[in-house]
Amino acid sequence: MYLSKRKLTPDFVKKAAVVSTFFLVILFTLIFVAFWSIQVLRHEEYLRLAIRNITRTIDLPAPRGVIVDRSGTVLAENKINFTLYLVRENVENLDKTIRRASFFSGRTVAEVQEIIARYKKYAMFYRIPIRSNLPQGTVIFIQSRQDEFPEFEIGMQPSRTFPLAESAAHVLGHLSEVSEAELDAMATGAYSPGDAIGRSGIEKQYEAFLKGEKGSRTVIKNSVEKIQEVSAETQPLIGATVVLTLDLGLQRFSEELLGEETGVVGVLDLRTGGILALVSKPAYDPEAFSLEMTRDEWLAISNDPQKPLQNKFLQGIYSPGSVFKIVMALAGLQEKLISPGLTLTCTGSQVFYDRVFHCWNLGGHGTMNLFSALQNSCNIYFYNLGRRLDIDTIARYARLLGLGAASGIDLPNEKPGLVPDSAWKLEAFRQRWFPGETISVAIGHGSLNVTPAQMLKLIATVALRGRMPRLHLLQRIERQGKVVRESLPEFRRVPIAEEHFEQVIEGLFRVVNQEGTGRAAAIAGLDICGKTGTAQIIAKENPHYKRLTQEKKFMPHSWFVSFAPRENPRLAMVVLVENGGDAGAIAAPLAARIYQKYFADEGLR
Amino acid sequence: MKDYVKYFDKFTFALLLLLVLAGISLVYSAGHSSAETNYLKQAGWLGVSLLAFFAVFALKTDFIFRKAFAVLLVLLAILALQVAVGGTVARTKSWFRLWGIGFQFSEFVKVPLALYLAKVLAQIESVDARAFVKILAVIFAPVGLIVLQPDMGVSFILCGFLPLVVLLKKVRPALLVVTVLLMVLGGLIGWHSLLKPYQKDRIVSFLNPTQYKDSTGYHIIQSKIAIGSGGLAGKGYLKGSQSRYQFLPARHTDFIISVVGEEHGFIGTSLLFFIFFIVFYRQFRFNFQTDEEFYFVYLFNGLMLFQFLVNVSMAIGFFPVLGISLPFVSYGGSSLLSFFIGAAIVFRIKINNYLA
Repeated sequence: MYLSKRKLTPDFVKKAAVVSTFFLVILFTLIFVAFWSIQVLRHEEYLRLAIRNITRTIDLPAPRGVIVDRSGTVLAENKINFTLYLVRENVENLDKTIRRASFFSGRTVAEVQEIIARYKKYAMFYRIPIRSNLPQGTVIFIQSRQDEFPEFEIGMQPSRTFPLAESAAHVLGHLSEVSEAELDAMATGAYSPGDAIGRSGIEKQYEAFLKGEKGSRTVIKNSVEKIQEVSAETQPLIGATVVLTLDLGLQRFSEELLGEETGVVGVLDLRTGGILALVSKPAYDPEAFSLEMTRDEWLAISNDPQKPLQNKFLQGIYSPGSVFKIVMALAGLQEKLISPGLTLTCTGSQVFYDRVFHCWNLGGHGTMNLFSALQNSCNIYFYNLGRRLDIDTIARYARLLGLGAASGIDLPNEKPGLVPDSAWKLEAFRQRWFPGETISVAIGHGSLNVTPAQMLKLIATVALRGRMPRLHLLQRIERQGKVVRESLPEFRRVPIAEEHFEQVIEGLFRVVNQEGTGRAAAIAGLDICGKTGTAQIIAKENPHYKRLTQEKKFMPHSWFVSFAPRENPRLAMVVLVENGGDAGAIAAPLAARIYQKYFADEGLR
Repeated sequence: MKDYVKYFDKFTFALLLLLVLAGISLVYSAGHSSAETNYLKQAGWLGVSLLAFFAVFALKTDFIFRKAFAVLLVLLAILALQVAVGGTVARTKSWFRLWGIGFQFSEFVKVPLALYLAKVLAQIESVDARAFVKILAVIFAPVGLIVLQPDMGVSFILCGFLPLVVLLKKVRPALLVVTVLLMVLGGLIGWHSLLKPYQKDRIVSFLNPTQYKDSTGYHIIQSKIAIGSGGLAGKGYLKGSQSRYQFLPARHTDFIISVVGEEHGFIGTSLLFFIFFIVFYRQFRFNFQTDEEFYFVYLFNGLMLFQFLVNVSMAIGFFPVLGISLPFVSYGGSSLLSFFIGAAIVFRIKINNYLA
């Protein structure tokens, strides 16, 4: 027996037991405290982390609201668009995947790589949109062989479609994908990468209503991001329906009427201030922006000298030409510098401040009063009026009548134009105003710049005898059948006596109906009042004027602003044909056709 | 025979069984989402372990002490052989497959080493230089081989014998100083030459888990989330999201306590700790016939306590993740078998005392 006899004393053994028990109690107490702290005291913090581990929220896109005209015809709606997505976590061989993506999307390998690089900071499970508007054939090919291409997913999104193509393009506007910079700047959650956002027109103006509210789906996932179950779902809310004041029939008629010309037509319902037709030519197809636009397509449309993307109605800047004589007449009457009976003789030219100024009728109009001066658009009459009114008074009346400021129509990016005065001259050129400049301004030239929208508002104010309407395209916005916003007619009184408007209207009536410059607009049985304007591109004093104006691009712009009927007016209209030449011959007859169409449709004639 | 039944510590034995059964149910929970059948294997291992328990229990204690050194040598030979030629399972050589069953021989070192150290301690008055060298050699021979496997967990646990020896026997202060120096030296050598980069990462990440949240700190963070999110009453059996959706790593082995914490809450963890406390309390407090028996009981149970503490601390981020299982509860046949064999000897020692 090699085992040692017990040498340890009972005391030692007892002491060992006591010490070990003491250790046990201490150690287990520490463990209990540690677990109590984590499991009870800090429970909520860890529970939150555990929930964050397993949940993921996915956006459910909301269909965009539709845009319809006054009678409910759809102008912009949604269609299903197939998008090719790449999911990096399912990629086995990146080179192969990139080559496949390039094949499916028609993009170059470099383009695909660039797209993938853009989504670097997103999670591996994020669906990277490679190309939208995928052809049906490609969709079927990928879906039928899905197990061969686990890294690709086909997504269906509502995409914007404009069934009328170029019609009313500038009113409706276009959309494009929200950029990364915008996403960073916006409140989180409002938009996600790949979402479309309105860029112009009504699509931009009423973006907040059209957009709808995204739904969301919260899913439970495991540690390798595989979805296990759906834990909560909020259905998306379709965007509101935007009803426009636009009358599609009149709109299309006006578009066809303008044909290949570059120009603008604006038709206003004088009872409400609602726009019935708004044409800006040339136009573009806004759907081209909803699809993927290639760089070449973009360059072609944005570098076109005719600026098809520009809505010339509110962004085109022109000299008003003789249309401005309306403002001059009202200013002169209100300032009591003229009266309808005051006469003046036009000899075809007159010297002001040591310079010869011509009438358009070089032979002279003879004796002119206010009515005949408007009727014949006599420059000499208005030169003299301009000399008696100083520039600052002219500017004050121009502004009173809506010039020099955005018309306030419910479309984005409107230009204010320019009403020059002495203060402006001093600030812009550090020069005092020369009285000679006033003479040019008096017939709507010089530094004076207006938009067709302002001209429409001006003629509407005249038609309504000083009640200035608020121009608008929105009729109402409906959400789930309920009207959430409605445009009510709004008029603002201009501080010019009503009798002066009546006097000017008499002149404008004669323009059309008494062998005036706008006689081409006359329609039997309809009292149309209007004013022509021929805005020179090059000065008549230019020695080569005759030769140069043979070329279309140097021909003057043709204006015709008008309203009808004279009493209880219904319609106001602006027609502008760029480089159209003589306004009476070009713009006025177009207006007549539109009146004819409108009053025939309304059964008023 | 009647006395053997009468004096057998049935209560402690029942508690051990309870731990193993709880372990099997936790292994089931940890694996059910991925349809793993580890719990069946563990049940099989329990059967094997119980057979081994009673076989060893039937042996006379002096016979066991006599054969301990030979068993230890055989094990060292096997470990050396494994290091030289052994197959690689999950980047370590510690597993050895025999008839389709995986054996982790390093786990079996604990009991014979405790037996041999107990014998050495019983034969000397105090630890002199010669005895100390012998003790160091017998501890660090297997530790060295197991580090080479490499199995950090088991080798670290075996190092726990050294402080236990110091606690149980008077050691000359000079030797203690030498030991501390040796440990520092060993640590430095280990850090620079033996540890694989991933092992270093584990230790570094323990110090600052959030900085390593996507790599090695992940284990600690996910384990704490599991335990903390369980709260007072837990999420319910099979309902722990951390475990079910595979956020919790090594949930059937090293982090099984995290499954308890998540699914059964503070009530579950406290109950489990309470059972462990009773087991330890009862395994330490009894009288002894020989010094060997005394030293073995304290060395073996001390080592088990050490392993228990390291495992639990690891789960709540108080200790680096070294791959150390929870005795009797974690999945792992070799570990279970080894602890049951050790326990069998402790139970036999208790009987010896009553029969004497």
